[in-house]
Amino acid sequence: MYLYLYDSFLNQKKHATVLARIETRLTDLGIGGKIFRLSPLRDTDELLKEEIRNGVKTVIVVGNDKSLTQIINLAAKFNITIGIIPVGPDNKIAQLLGVGSTLAACDIIAARIIEKVDLGKANETYFISNITVANNQGGVTIECEDRYKIIPHRQNQISICNLKPIFASLPGKTSYFNPQDGSLEILIQPLVSGLFSIFKKAVSLNNSIIPFKKIAIKGKSSTTIYTDGQRVLKPPVNIEIIPKKLKIIVGKNRHF
Amino acid sequence: MFKKEPHDEIETIIGPSVQVEGNFVASGDVIIEGTVSGSVKTDRNLTIGKDAKIFADISAANALIAGEVQGDVKIQDSLQLTETAKIFGDVKTRIITISSGASLNGKCTAGEANKSKFEKIDERVKLEKAKNKSRETEETELNK
Repeated sequence: MYLYLYDSFLNQKKHATVLARIETRLTDLGIGGKIFRLSPLRDTDELLKEEIRNGVKTVIVVGNDKSLTQIINLAAKFNITIGIIPVGPDNKIAQLLGVGSTLAACDIIAARIIEKVDLGKANETYFISNITVANNQGGVTIECEDRYKIIPHRQNQISICNLKPIFASLPGKTSYFNPQDGSLEILIQPLVSGLFSIFKKAVSLNNSIIPFKKIAIKGKSSTTIYTDGQRVLKPPVNIEIIPKKLKIIVGKNRHF
Repeated sequence: MFKKEPHDEIETIIGPSVQVEGNFVASGDVIIEGTVSGSVKTDRNLTIGKDAKIFADISAANALIAGEVQGDVKIQDSLQLTETAKIFGDVKTRIITISSGASLNGKCTAGEANKSKFEKIDERVKLEKAKNKSRETEETELNK
């Protein structure tokens, strides 16, 4: 049984045509189901919990990266399969999962190629894509597996990645950021501005990439840590990999 | 120099803007361009860039060193020191290649550890005679 969650931004009139086309396609494919429109006033957690109790096994998110990452925590806790139908911009995760256009996504959902992917866990919050450390004005240290400590210089962008960050052009081998390899990667990039940002490739040689299974980020209280660009945590944050935690519907052109 | 294997092991890259303190252990290839203190250990290839500074003992299967290392270097197979390499510590490896200009300050042990025993010529003749005698007696016993 499928449950479709429409993100609140889809209530705008301009998305009505796309939604109608999605619904027609899903009906044609015989995978129609219950539809819920999310709104800031509705408690998504409660709604999902109730539907899971009623026997929902697959939840399809219709929206963007933000909509998908909102339900990652519940999906991980209740062992349900999730999928995405991307609508609008900001759909990097869908791209990495091999889900391209909106209508192609309906066919991918019907094909049901399900992969078990790793999730990161930051304190008690699960994340699928990455963690970013904002306001790194120095003082941030990363303790890895109780064996060694990484001290990035000031003005470095620190990310913890499970999926491949689309912005990064990376040196060395290509086997990084595989969500099925049982490890996460620390990516430390020196921040550049002005003319130097044009020569991104040369700058990427200065990146640091360190695979790990368990770390702790420590720093000043002014340091802010975002999981999947949304939830805000304050240091210290313990991060670990939970292998094969999430069942997700993917396309043939997935990037892993 | 490094042996390429069919599987694509994950590399660890420590960039120039990063400092690592403690016992750094990796299972794949390691590239260091920054600063490391403590110890560095990998079962695979280690590359130390020319601006890297290592204040640590090193252990790896193969290594290419172009930067500065203050500590002992223990390599299972082959070690290459480029012209910019500076080593302040003892080195132990099976095969070593040193480019001109490299600096090595410490004890260097390279190659197999088996050494021949010194024997005087008279003693060697005596030993050979004794061996021949014992061989002859064995043969006669077998013929009987």
